[in-house]
This record gives sequence, structure tokens and C-alpha cells, in this order.
Amino acid sequence: MAGGKKKYGAAKVAPYCYIAPITLILVTFVIGSVAGSIILGFTKYNIMTEPVFQGLKNYSKLMSDSKFIKALKNTLELMVLIVPLQTIFSVAISVFLAANRKRLLGRLANSVIFIPVICAPAVAGVVWRELLNGKIAVVERSFGLFGIDPSMLLGSAKTALITVGMVAIWKWMGYYVVIYTSGLLSIPDTYYEAAKVDGAGRLRCFLSITLPLLKPTIILGVFLSMTTSLQCFDLIFNLTGGGPNNASTTLVVYAYSKCFSAGTAGYAMAISNVLFLVILAVALLQRDLMKREASEI
Amino acid sequence: MMKTDMQILKKGAGRVASSLLLIGIIIASIFPFLYMFLMSFKSTINAHDLDFSLEKLSLMQYQKIFAMDHFGRYIFNSVFVAAAGVILTVGVCSLAGYAFAKMDFKGNDKIFLFLVMTMVVPSEVIIIPLFLITKGLGWLNTYRALILPLPTAFGVFIMRQAILDVPQDLIDAAKIDGCGNLKIFFKVVLPLVKSSMLALSIFTFVGAWNNFLWPLVASTKTEMKTLPLALSMMKTQFNTDVGLTMACAVINFLPPFIFYVFIQGRFKEGMTLSGMKG
Repeated sequence: MAGGKKKYGAAKVAPYCYIAPITLILVTFVIGSVAGSIILGFTKYNIMTEPVFQGLKNYSKLMSDSKFIKALKNTLELMVLIVPLQTIFSVAISVFLAANRKRLLGRLANSVIFIPVICAPAVAGVVWRELLNGKIAVVERSFGLFGIDPSMLLGSAKTALITVGMVAIWKWMGYYVVIYTSGLLSIPDTYYEAAKVDGAGRLRCFLSITLPLLKPTIILGVFLSMTTSLQCFDLIFNLTGGGPNNASTTLVVYAYSKCFSAGTAGYAMAISNVLFLVILAVALLQRDLMKREASEI
Repeated sequence: MMKTDMQILKKGAGRVASSLLLIGIIIASIFPFLYMFLMSFKSTINAHDLDFSLEKLSLMQYQKIFAMDHFGRYIFNSVFVAAAGVILTVGVCSLAGYAFAKMDFKGNDKIFLFLVMTMVVPSEVIIIPLFLITKGLGWLNTYRALILPLPTAFGVFIMRQAILDVPQDLIDAAKIDGCGNLKIFFKVVLPLVKSSMLALSIFTFVGAWNNFLWPLVASTKTEMKTLPLALSMMKTQFNTDVGLTMACAVINFLPPFIFYVFIQGRFKEGMTLSGMKG
């Protein structure tokens, strides 16, 4: 170790040269953006003219902006819709696929379930939009089984957000299945064998072995799902554009339209800052839970 | 013990049921993409019937889309931004990862922690100030704007973790042989962390290739748009031509998909990096 630490100036400077490029990038784009967002959130700023400081006015305006309240509600609703279903389905599918992982069909399902994950959200959005609106006999018939007219799903204010949520669940299912599968496969087989000897059934094994041992992974997955769903933009933009009548406008979508359509950048940043606070709160909660989980083990 | 017919029947029924469920999962995963592919090979405009007799399939939509203004440019932009983004990210992240893992300097831990803290900043939330910074630098509608913000602290984290596992003895031995830091980095360290570099490359490539909101904001000029933006624009411009839109979706979808088919395991590892270790 001492080799490189002679009294040469160059050797002392070298490490800083190695970390300089990424530090410069992160300070400029990430730290700079966060600082800019916090500061400009206190200003009236429409990009064309100089920002004017106006204290908390943007934030007090938010309180009485019904579209903002709606967007906040939609954002939280989308999260509440996505996270439990995503978690339950992906844990169930992971368990099912792990049990069938030696079969050809099981391996195939394991591979193809990841395809929606690698495709661009824009592709998923556009294809699902066409699929639902497309008047395709197969699709109409299969939705008809549940009494649903697919072409109405994205166009109606009642179902637009739910449909976005379902597409999001479909899109990210494979991602969570990979995470939970790796958690499942790290549970030693001997546990299950011992339980079998004791006469435990499948459900008993799942409840007493799988779930408790998978808990840390589930906590991780739940929080990942929370932060991802709070930031959903690409899917909404391509499925509904935030409509109809703002029914699927979330905070990111609203901030985007406030900045790039209405031109009120300061106000838009105040909106983003609220979302940032929500996400930060979620992240802190996660850290807390994970720490507690780690100390229990 | 003799198995009764009932037991055999029950086992068989269970196997059939689980097979059906597996087939259900497979269909649900690929049906939209099958639809996308099939529609892109149909020549008739706005034909929604699922009639795919072979003689009706054609490459017409693809001929049309490549004849479209700027389409070659969109492809070039997407390829260039993703490729440059991967090279830049892997480059700067492994350089920094090496320094943080193996070099002794003042503030090592503190600077690393500071950089890692930027990981909690969600990218969609800082789009507007990022746009303003880029605009202030005069970089709107440039490749720089699309490429430079791609590296994240997450990459540094991954590369540092990987390089920590490189045995110090190897580095010391190279030093005794008179190798400089940079030579050690290229000749000793990098060859040993290839798999992490590949995982980070895949992660960055898919992220850059699929990136939507940032290019939407940073590239206002048509000739600077990328494929996902082109696809998104088509819904307004050619609303009636589903086949053409689907051809564009296929072109957008294929590169990550082809990579996935060839290096499935690595792909899953790379894509879920942030979920596993973050």
C-alpha cells in the first residue's frame, strides 16, 4: 500500500483525477438539479424571464389547485393499486415457477415473463393502447368474459388509471419475479424436507418457512414497487396522455405539463418537490424497516 | 404401497392444471408482442382482423417506415446515445470505483458516501431543473445533453463492490513490477471485474435505449429525437395506420430483445442490479 504514497504530488492528486469525472457529472446534473429545484420552487419563473422570488406562494397555491390535488390523489391511488397486486402476484408466480423450474414449460415461462421488463415503457404503452382500442375479436371476447369492453378502458375516467396500473403490473412482473425467485432459491431445501418429515402440508410450508424467510426480499420489493409507481410517466404518457379529463394525471405528468405546456417552471418545480418529499419519506421508511429487519435476524 | 387410480388421476390433473397455468403466464407475457409483430407485417391499413394467412403478410410497413423522413436518423440517435452512454458510464464508474476501492486518499469514505447519497434522487423528479441546467449550458438538442447525465452513483457503487474483491496482492505485485496506477487499472483490475462491467453495461444500455422523459424534454428538434419519441409521435401523426406504428414499435423493441435472447441470465442480473443490491 505504501508504494504509491511517496511524497510525490502526482500520487496524491491521482485518486482525485479518477473520481473527478463522475463527481463532476453528479454534482452538475443531480446535486445541481436538486438545488435548482429547491431554490426555483420559491420563485415565479416562466423560463423566458428572470425568476422572481415569491416565498412560499407556489406551495400555498398548490393547496388550492384542484388539479394538483387530483394529481396527488391519482399518484397515491396508482401506488396503492399497483403495490399490493404486484407483490402478491409476483410472489405467487415466483413460488409457482420455482416449483416448476425443472419443467420445459416452467423454464419457458420463466424466460418470457421477463420480456415485458426489457421492452421500453413507450413500446408497452403504445402496443397496449392499440391492443385495447383495436377492436380485435380475440381481445374483445376475452375481456367480454369479464363483462368489460376493452375499448372503453382507457377512454373512461373511471377506468383509465386502473388500466394504467394493470399495464404497469404486467410490465414489471418479471422484474419482481426475478427478485423473489432469487430470494426463494436461497432458502435451503433442508428446511422443507424437515417440515415434510414433520407432516407439514404445502400451505403450512409456505406460511411457516417461505414467507418469513422471504420477508426481507418482500420488503425490498414492496419499496421498489412504491418508488417506481410514484414516478410512473412513460406508460401514462403513451397510454392516456394523462386523460381523459386528467383522470390519469399523476404528479410527474402534471409537473411536466405545467412546465412545458403552461410554461410555469417555478410552479412545476414546486410540484416536483412535493413528489420528491413523498419519495424521500418512503425511502426513509424503507431504511428504517430494513434496519429493524436486519437487527431481528 | 400401491397407488390407487384416484391418486394417479389426481396427480395427473394437478400436472395438467399447472401446465395450463404456465401456458397462461406465457401467453399473457408475449401476446402483446405477438400482436405487435403480426400487425407490423400487415399491409392493409387499419385492418384489425387477426387474419394472418401467409400471402397477406408483407414488409410494406417496414419499407414505408424507412422511407419516412428522419427515420434513419432516429435509429442512429438511439444507437449512438446508448453506445456512448454505456462507454461513458462504464468508464467513469469503474475509474471512480477503482479509486474508492483501492486507493488511500483523504476524504475517500466521505466523498463516496456523498456520491451514493445522490442515488435517492429520483430521475423523473429532477427533469425540469435538469432541463434548465442543460438549457443554461446551451446543450439542448445536442448528443451531450442526452449522454452526459446517464452515469449514476449506482454504477460507482457496483464497480467499487466488484473491485473491492480484487486481491490486494495482485495490485501490490504489479506495483513492485513498476506498473503505474493506470496500467494496473487496465491490466489487472478491469479483466477481473468483467462480469460486473457487463452487468452495468446491460443496465445502462437498456436504460438509455428505453429512456423517454429526458429525450422528450431535451430533444425538441426532430433530427435529435430517439426511437421511443418517434414511436410516441406516431400516434398523433399516423393515427389510422396501426401497422406502421407497430413496425416502429418492433424496431424499438428488437435490439434489447435480441440481446436478451442471447444472454438471458446476464440480462436478468444486469437489469435487476438495483433491486438486488441497492
